[in-house]
Amino acid sequence: MRSDVAELARLAGWIEGWAQRGALSPDVSFAIALCLEEAVANVIMYGGAGDERLQIKVEVERDAGISTVRIEDNGRQFDPTQVPSPPVAASLEDAKIGNVGVHLMRSFASDMRYERRNGLNRLTLRFLEAQATPKQAG
Amino acid sequence: MDIAVEELAGGITKVVLRGRFDTTGAAVIEMPFNAIVTERRGVLVDLSAVTFLSSYAIRVLLVGAKIVSSKGGRLVILCPDNNVAKVLRTAGTDALIPVFQDEQAATAGVASS
Repeated sequence: MRSDVAELARLAGWIEGWAQRGALSPDVSFAIALCLEEAVANVIMYGGAGDERLQIKVEVERDAGISTVRIEDNGRQFDPTQVPSPPVAASLEDAKIGNVGVHLMRSFASDMRYERRNGLNRLTLRFLEAQATPKQAG
Repeated sequence: MDIAVEELAGGITKVVLRGRFDTTGAAVIEMPFNAIVTERRGVLVDLSAVTFLSSYAIRVLLVGAKIVSSKGGRLVILCPDNNVAKVLRTAGTDALIPVFQDEQAATAGVASS
């Protein structure tokens, strides 16, 4: 994929087709689509939107009820697992805008791992078919 | 993604959104949505026909609610209990913007401001 937000629409169509072919449950399909959107949008925003050198590779596989999504990019080092969840705002007026994407990924994926190897960011997300509801914040 | 506007009794503006409210969809509706929340004081955002919601969409909704609230008005969300509602709950958005599951309650929610 190129570093262009227009690629997100293509990614959404591709992952929807993959989930349908694999007969994934609607909840797991939704969780995968959400986490992929957030992860790739982050790479494009932090890795350099419009930078033609930025390459993003997405792989998905399913085995024994576990879907695994791998996102690899050659952008700036960025470890989403180290991003803290946003504080709970006391009121609408106090609410900060942003920082929700990684929190959603952490909640909707069963497992999220990051490694930096050979100058590449590699994020691996796993989704268990049984886990239909997001984990509690924390 | 589509956006449609209906005027309800009591000066309430219903904004009906349809489709995938993702980064791509949010970019399409952000400007018309901001124009509505800038002009109106009672806004009901209907997400019943929204099939997907990302953090960018939450940003658009929060900015809208803040604009309406800064004028002493109120923005509420109408959303059935589905995966979109799950995103709103997980992000803590439902603690900042009232979320209702039926239109009658949502309309009463806007009017209570």
